[in-house]
Amino acid sequence: MKNKLNLLLLISFLIAVFLTIWLFNQITSSVGDIAFNKELDKSTFKVCDEKRINQYYSVKSNYQNGKRGLKKDLWNSIESLTFKNSGYITFRFVINCNGETGRFRVKTVDSELKINYFNAEKIKTLQSFIENLEKWDVKKWNDRTFDSYFHLTFKVNNGKITDVF
Amino acid sequence: MKIFFKILKMLITFLFIGYTITVLYLLFFTPKEKRFNKAEHSQGIFLSQTIFSILKFQNPNNSDIYFEQSVPFNKRGDFAKGFLLLNKAVELEPEVHLGYRGWIKLRKLRDFENAMLDFNSLDSLTPNFVDAPWGEDIDFLRGECQFGIKNYEKAIDYFNRNIIENGEDSVEIQTFVYLGICEYELGNYRKAISEFKRALNQFESVPESYFGMAKAYRKLGELEESRINILKTEEHFAYKRDDIYNEFLNEIYISEIVEFKQLLNK
Repeated sequence: MKNKLNLLLLISFLIAVFLTIWLFNQITSSVGDIAFNKELDKSTFKVCDEKRINQYYSVKSNYQNGKRGLKKDLWNSIESLTFKNSGYITFRFVINCNGETGRFRVKTVDSELKINYFNAEKIKTLQSFIENLEKWDVKKWNDRTFDSYFHLTFKVNNGKITDVF
Repeated sequence: MKIFFKILKMLITFLFIGYTITVLYLLFFTPKEKRFNKAEHSQGIFLSQTIFSILKFQNPNNSDIYFEQSVPFNKRGDFAKGFLLLNKAVELEPEVHLGYRGWIKLRKLRDFENAMLDFNSLDSLTPNFVDAPWGEDIDFLRGECQFGIKNYEKAIDYFNRNIIENGEDSVEIQTFVYLGICEYELGNYRKAISEFKRALNQFESVPESYFGMAKAYRKLGELEESRINILKTEEHFAYKRDDIYNEFLNEIYISEIVEFKQLLNK
């Protein structure tokens, strides 16, 4: 009887601990979160608060002069890029509280919005163009600036980039 | 003492089991509306997604669950996952979700042709009813699609339909702005100016209208009128049409105004 009670206590404790850890992860993680990956990310890029990376629309982070400014700074570089297919290339990345970017991840879909793969080298080139952008605008809230997730979608039509938004 | 420890162990065991049962009950057995609302209001977090997955398992034909689960994916640029869910919602209840899917294709993907197909399909399912996908008049949205395709005559038809449906005084003010831009693109500069003025009859602070007029007057060689209107664009700029999530097709920028002023002063 004593052993049975001890076993029950142990099992119920382990289940409760597991459930709590699982719940904590469920509550603190979100769709689209990007954790640091030493295989992919530059160690020189730091976020200011790992526990609080907002969505761009919550803290109004943007590029200086909005999408027009962004297109202007990107267009000359991306105009000459060509691809073999059509669809959308979306980069999601972090703008840190100092207006620097890092932790780039890419998702690509075809025109039917199903997963598709574009030439990896060209994706890298496209990413390097975004990495070179320097005029990110992080808004101040109560004298503080915040890290945020941002995404940029490139529309590819008949092998050429036709729009960025 | 032994009995005390035994009772204490039983109590703690009871607490652990109670805690586990409560969590499982909340996840699996509370009323579905309650769980749906909780998941909807904590959009994007993993727990919300898990609750939607449980709800889908328990109610595989409820289209709203697929729709709500898709929202954070499309908002955060994961269109493959977002559309997998949204397409399922449309398959289950096209009348309810086609409009939103068209709206997402228009505003988040600028996929004008496919957005148009969704709006047209919705319209054919609801005869004698003017739909309002995501709260916007369907003909205004179809006008935007045609504008995006640069099919300005068709865009004008849809924007005019929107005015007939909603009335000159209460129609979305950007309808007139788009009409003005379409006429401008077609080279009808006088007509463009009269369309931009219709927006200003409804509300005086529409910087897109003043900017459109400045451009049209310049094309007509009436530079003084153009200057007056570019100054008014700056004056009313705070009222510009913008949205933190997406750039609008007719969005104007301060940098454009500065460049235009330089062009005028040449």
